[in-house]
This record gives sequence, structure tokens and C-alpha cells, in this order.
Amino acid sequence: MALEDYRKDMELCAKCSICKFIPLEKMKGVQPANVCPSISKYNFNAYSGGGRVNIGMAMLDNRLEYTDKLLHIIYNCQMCGACDVSCKYAMDMEVLEPIYEFRIKAVEEGHTNPALDKVINSLRKQGTMVPGAKAKRGEWAKGLGLKDFTRQKTKVVYHVGCLTSYDKDMWKTARATVNLLNKAGVDFGIGGENESCCGGRAYQMGYETDFIRQAQNNMALFKQCGVETIVTACADCYHAFKVLYDKFGLKGNLEVLHITEYLDRLIKEGRLKPRKKVAMKVTYHDPCHLGRLGEPYIHWEGKEIPGFQRRFDPPKELMRGTYGIYEPPRDVLRSIPGLKLVEMDRIKEYAWCCGAGGGVNESNPEFSLWTADERIAEAESTGAEALVTACPWCEKNFNQAIKECGSSLKVYDVVELLEKAI
Amino acid sequence: MALDKDIYRAFEDVVGPDNISDDPAILDSYSYRWGPQTETFGQRFAAITLPKDTAEVQAIVRLCNKYGIQFKASSTGWGSMSNPGGPEVIKMDLRRMDRIIEINEKNMYAVVEPYVISVQLQAELMKRGLNCNIIGAGGNCSAHPYAAHYGGGHMGESTSLRERNILAVEWVTPEGEIVKLGSLGSLGEWFCGDGPGPSLRGITVGHAAPCGGIGVFTKAATKIYHWAGPPIFPIEGVSPQYAPSEIPPNFFYRYYSFPSAKEMVEAQRRIGESEIAFEVMGFNIAMLASNMGTSNDEDYAYFEQFRKLIQGPGFQVILMGNSPQDFEYKKQVLEQIIRETKGESLKPVEDPKIAGALIWRSIRITASIRECFRAGGAFSAALGGTHPYGEEVAYMEAVSKLKKDLIKKGILRDDDGYYLTWPHEHGHLGHAEILIQFRQTPESIDAIMGFSEAAMKMAIDNRYGVPHSLSGMAPDMHDMFGPHASNYNVWQRRLKQAFDPNEVSDSSGYIKGKQQQGVS
Repeated sequence: MALEDYRKDMELCAKCSICKFIPLEKMKGVQPANVCPSISKYNFNAYSGGGRVNIGMAMLDNRLEYTDKLLHIIYNCQMCGACDVSCKYAMDMEVLEPIYEFRIKAVEEGHTNPALDKVINSLRKQGTMVPGAKAKRGEWAKGLGLKDFTRQKTKVVYHVGCLTSYDKDMWKTARATVNLLNKAGVDFGIGGENESCCGGRAYQMGYETDFIRQAQNNMALFKQCGVETIVTACADCYHAFKVLYDKFGLKGNLEVLHITEYLDRLIKEGRLKPRKKVAMKVTYHDPCHLGRLGEPYIHWEGKEIPGFQRRFDPPKELMRGTYGIYEPPRDVLRSIPGLKLVEMDRIKEYAWCCGAGGGVNESNPEFSLWTADERIAEAESTGAEALVTACPWCEKNFNQAIKECGSSLKVYDVVELLEKAI
Repeated sequence: MALDKDIYRAFEDVVGPDNISDDPAILDSYSYRWGPQTETFGQRFAAITLPKDTAEVQAIVRLCNKYGIQFKASSTGWGSMSNPGGPEVIKMDLRRMDRIIEINEKNMYAVVEPYVISVQLQAELMKRGLNCNIIGAGGNCSAHPYAAHYGGGHMGESTSLRERNILAVEWVTPEGEIVKLGSLGSLGEWFCGDGPGPSLRGITVGHAAPCGGIGVFTKAATKIYHWAGPPIFPIEGVSPQYAPSEIPPNFFYRYYSFPSAKEMVEAQRRIGESEIAFEVMGFNIAMLASNMGTSNDEDYAYFEQFRKLIQGPGFQVILMGNSPQDFEYKKQVLEQIIRETKGESLKPVEDPKIAGALIWRSIRITASIRECFRAGGAFSAALGGTHPYGEEVAYMEAVSKLKKDLIKKGILRDDDGYYLTWPHEHGHLGHAEILIQFRQTPESIDAIMGFSEAAMKMAIDNRYGVPHSLSGMAPDMHDMFGPHASNYNVWQRRLKQAFDPNEVSDSSGYIKGKQQQGVS
């Protein structure tokens, strides 16, 4: 697909501004009402979902040149998809897809962001989205005696992901995951040094070719090793394997589970029994790529029905965020004795982004942390002592923001809290 | 047209470098247009500014006077009235002015800045047992009572309309003076628009809001109303599958159709007279289907189902009881009125799950975008005014014939040609509109333009009053209607000339200081 392929969607934009706010039916007060970090920070309409598709049209009509401001607009979006969900409450049109395509077009035409180029160079040379990483990819598992799925066949593969592998602060989550899977008696393996980046964040940054190369290599390895199920604790990896690989026709029959889905299943099957009390009041942050963007990809092929309503034969179902992964992480938290889960105002399909997505964490750290600060304030307002999430990128960004703003809020991954209870 | 560098710098000094831009990408996100347009992009603004408060608005206005540049201020900027009227217009996007200044429960008013949207205000009010009017365009529009070209909405029966809810106002005039109207001007309080203190409400509002034509209304107080429902409506589910877990106590929803407009009008008049309804909204079934359907496919299926089940034109009613006894009384009165006017309930929407969703959607007003834009993105309308209800319906019955002709020709979506109607303040005044959905082609755009002109001519020839379509859209049309309505255009122009001698407040949505040649 290309930006041109979304012209008919973009022509439907009514400039109603609904993309800037949480779904109106769910608004509970004057704040927090906003759902899009980019328009909330930069205020000009071009930074909103609607504004982005408007200037996408302008680009197709050759009205625009690449200016510094245009590139600032293109790259200062976390690709969190909140605008897409809010719009699709009312409209049958794609919003996030043309935003992706606009960024991909910019990259293909050589208008890249230097900070993102650095990340992609790291991906190309070292297979990681964490440039300058000193650790080796499999080092976190040293001494754990885990199976290497490339050498020993295992039904389940635990894909750790770039950030958790290369950031030593994140190793605790990987080790907690291993601990839980072992306790549940799961036969699983890891890739270790053979694990490679899912490519999802490269796609978010606009580097579609790099993403496809990563996806093809990964799927070739999975097929070669007879992998049936991939479990990951990273929301970006989850979205890449489950949604993007499927979108590009590469996923095949691979079952993709987020660790929270898998743990929820193991708890409900009685294979994990949280018994220890974890006396803590927490609030849960829905990672964008697990929540609203984590629903299955919907393939469609057909034609538009002539007439005055935009309808298709066969009917075309849009991804609206309805079937994202919202309950499994909450159910895992609810299963922990003593733990009290309280909700923030913006949750599930209209959750506020952590700020780390879409390359913003790398290209504009100030904006990334500003976005995280908003969420931290929202979490604090619930009276929770900890903010729990299910993605290492969210965790890292929240921790960085907390360090800078001096909040006393703690940040945990769902996995860490469950481990405390087992 | 680009601003001279020194002039740009002068504006930049007011708002700061992060809050002004003349980059084409920024400008084009404001010049994109929806609706029956031959070109997707209209005139670009010379620059976009983002003032944060009244002082910055005032400074921008004064610079516009100094340099002879026009300005156009807007809130969410949905309507065409927020577009520039020429090449040398700078935009004031009031997005950063988004505070609720005060909610006064005792005196029942709220003071807002322009970028507070209606659902924000409503949500805060409901926590306090209060509610506000929301314009029919939707809860995503500004809560500021000057922000729309017409301020009626679904809850007009119990919350009136914007033009009548305006209380005290802070106004930056086109010459850059800050004027405080009503009680704000004498007591520094917001409770009244007409005094003690200077009352210019008639002048500043006129037939409808001035749509950017006479300065910037930076803060305004609006009347608020009683709400007997829960502080937070019990909506469950994930978008767009929202529905309440249960209909809160003392709420009731029905959609009734009637053998003809005559019976429908009589039923609405009697419901108003008995003061029983919280909301009476004359959705046609196409709009009802859009409210219910979460996609065009569902919308289509509901419409095809409903068109076989109705007798003729209809409306939906929401009752809200203050007590079980009050609720029971209202229900009984409603049932009697419907029985005596030969109304029939549309059975599928009696289902509590559907009725509950429709109650909330029609109070929060979230589905107007679906009703107008989802089908194919292109929508237009002919609007009545705010007149005796029977007159409004008679006008729409007449316009409906024009619409049906276009449907027969295959130019519009076939929704059986119905219009929509709603009464105001339990009284005999009301409003009516007719929506049309079409596909953008040169042929359809010509036909839509012809339809609009014919509807306007019909309003003049048959004395249906001044339609709200005029406000915010076509300044020269006031000169067409004025001679048939007490020459109001002459007075409106004099006000424009008096308050805006340099004509810096872009009048493309109001009336121009100079009369256009050839228009009498």
C-alpha cells in the first residue's frame, strides 16, 4: 500500500476534531480529555490525526515540499493509534494507515530523521534497535540453562525483544518470565544470540523495507525450527508478530501471544497459582501496541459497492481497537492476592500513550518524556503507589520520566508482580 | 499570501515562536475543506497563531489594525465559517484557551473559554446534577455560546438554545478593546447578559452568532440546567460498541412515527405544552439508523429495516423523571398524547440495550458525525430558522419536495426525503433542517448548489423566515433576505461599520462593511 491508496479514506475527513479527544461517550470531566500526545503538545492542527491526513492529501496534490516543519510533523507522532480509534467511533475511514504511509513515503524519498537513521543503522549492522548496546543479546539468560529453540525443538518460543535483551535494567523482567514459565511447566526455548529484532519499531519509524527484511528472516527461522507459538512480553514485538507480519502475509499459522495472555491462560488452567499476598494499590497502563493496536489483522479483498454510502462487497470490517488485549493483563493483576487495581481515566482503547513509540523516544526525547509525564500525573491522581504496564518500552520511558520529575510512583511489569505472588 | 518578515515577527513577539507558523504544511491542515467543494483545498491563511489568553488575542487584533491585516478566530474550526475570506487573513486558533473558568451551581451558569468542548462541560456539570445545551453538530464542538452559527441541539426542549443561553461576555472588539458585557461590566460577575451593565447581546448575537465577523469572544457565561440522571452514565464496552449496563432509573426512550407531519407536529406541540419531555428530537429514520449503526453496513441494514416499519415522519422522545412519581406521570401523559395523535412506537428500539445507548448518545450528542459524514464524507443541508414550529415544518415539507426530486435523479442518497425537526423550551418555537448526502462529482455539486439556492428562494417567496443557513456562510445573502425581514441587513452592516471601521475582523461568515455590487 502507499499513501495514494488511502486517498478515498483521507477525503472523508470532516475536520470534526474528534480524533483529538477520547471517545466522547467516555468523557468524565474537563480533564483528561485529550487522547493524542502530538496535538496536545504542539497544538497546530497538522499535528492531529485529522490534520495529518489533510496534509497527506496536500502532499498527494503536490502542494507541499519537505520543509523542516513538515518533517517535524511527520516524525513527532508516536503512532499510538488513539486518533484512529476515536475517529472510527463515528467514521468508516483509515487514519493511522495513511499516517504510516506518509512517514514511509518520507523515508523512501530520503527525508529521514538523523536520530532514527542511527537506530536503523544499528538494526542493519547489529540486529538491534538499541544502538550502542554493550551487552550481548542472549547475555541476560546466562546461567539459566534455557533451551535454544534453534538447536532443540520446543513448541513455545519466548521472544525477549531488543530492549529487554540489551538493557540490563530490563533483565529482571525476562528472568521473572522464565521463572513463571518454568513454574508452570512450560516447555519453551529462547533464541539467545540467534534472536533477532522483530522489526516492528523500524516500521513505526517509517523504514518499511528494513521491517520486511527482519520479518522474512524471522519467519524463515521460525519455520525452519518448527516454532508454533511465540510468546513475548514486549508490546511492540507482539504487535509486529501478530499484526504486521499478518498484514504483509508473512505470519502463516504462527500463534502469537503476549505474556499476559499466556500467564492469564496458565492461571485459569491452574498451572500457576498466585498465593502470596502483594499488598499494593496499582494502576494499569495499556500499552498502545498491546491494547488498541493489538487486535488481529483483518484481511479483506473486494470492491466498493456503487452508491451513496461507502460500502464494500464483501463487507469490509475495520480495525477499530474493539478487540485489543485489555482484560488478560487486568485478570492477571486481579488474580494476585492483596493487590488492588484502580483505573485511570484514560484506559483500554483510549489510553494515553507512554510516549516511547514511533521513534519519538529516539528522535525527540523531550516530547517523549512530556508524554510520559502526563500519564504519570494521571496515574498519581488515582492514589496508586505503582504504575504497572506490559511493555519494556513503556516501563523504561516511565522510569526515566519519574527520575526527572521526582515522582514517588514505582513502575512494574505485570510479570514482576505476578512473580512476587507465586 | 506570506506575511512580511517584520510583520510576522511582530505577531511572533506576541505569541512566541512555537505558537505561530506560516509553513505550508501547517497552513494546509487549515485550508482543507469538506463538503460540496470543487477544490479540496481552499484559500490558505497567511499565518496561524495560537494565542493563550485574552491579552494575546487583544495584541493580535491591535497588530491587525496597525498593519491592515484581517483575522479569523475559531475554536474547534469545524464549520466553513472558520475558513479565511481572502488571502491576507491570519488565523487565531483558540485551542490553548481551554479552561472552564467557573461553574456556579447556585446561580446556574458556567463560564468557559472557546476551546472547552461541550462534552467536557457537560461531564463536569453532571457530577453536580446539572446539564448544558449542546449544539446539534455534536459534543465535540465548543461549549462557548458564540462558537456556532446556530446553537440549537437535541436537548432544546429542556436546555433551550445557545443564543438564548448567553449571559455575560468578555469581548475583544475588532479595534482591540476589551469590553465586558452584562453584569460582568458593572459587578465583575457573570450571571446576566443584559445588566446591570451594558447589554449588547442583541448586537453581538443578532440572528445568530457572528462567526468571527466582529471580533473575538474570549470568555462567556452560559446558562445551565437541571440534570436528574447519574453523575456518570453507566456506559460499558469498547469503542464503538458502547452501551449502558442498564438504563438509569426514571429514564425512558421511544421513537414514534406518525401518519403525516400534521399529527407529528400536534404531538410535539402537546408534549411541549405539557412540559414532560427532557428531549424531543425529530430524527428521521436515516439519522436514527446512523446513531445505532457502528458502521455504514449496520447503518444501511437498520435503515432498510426501519423504513418498512414506520408510518411517516417521526421523532424520538427522552423522558427524565425527578422521582418515580414524576416519571410515571410523564410517561402516562406521553402515552396519552401519542395515542391521541396516532403515533406508533418503532419496536426494535424499545429494546433496553438499544434504547439505553440511544439515550446516552442523544444526550451527549456523539453521533452527528455519523449522521452527516460517515456515508460518503459529503453532506449538505438546508436549514430553517427558529420560528413557530408549524412554520418550520411547513418549510421543510416544501424543501423535502426539492430533495425528493434529486433523489429520483439519482444525485442524493435515498433516505425517503425526510427532514428533521426539534422544538425549543417546551414551547411553540422550534427548528427544522433537511440533510442531504451525496457523492462529490461536478454534477452533484452543481445540483447541491441549485438545491440550496432554490431552498433559499422558497424561504423568501413563501415567507418562511430567515434560515440559519445564512449565518457563517454567505455574507452577501443577508442583502437578499434583509428587504424581506425589516431591512435587518442595513442595521447589521451599520453595526459592522461602527465596531470594525478598518474591516479587520474577517466577515466571510457575517456581513461585510461594504455592500457588494449588484445585491439589493
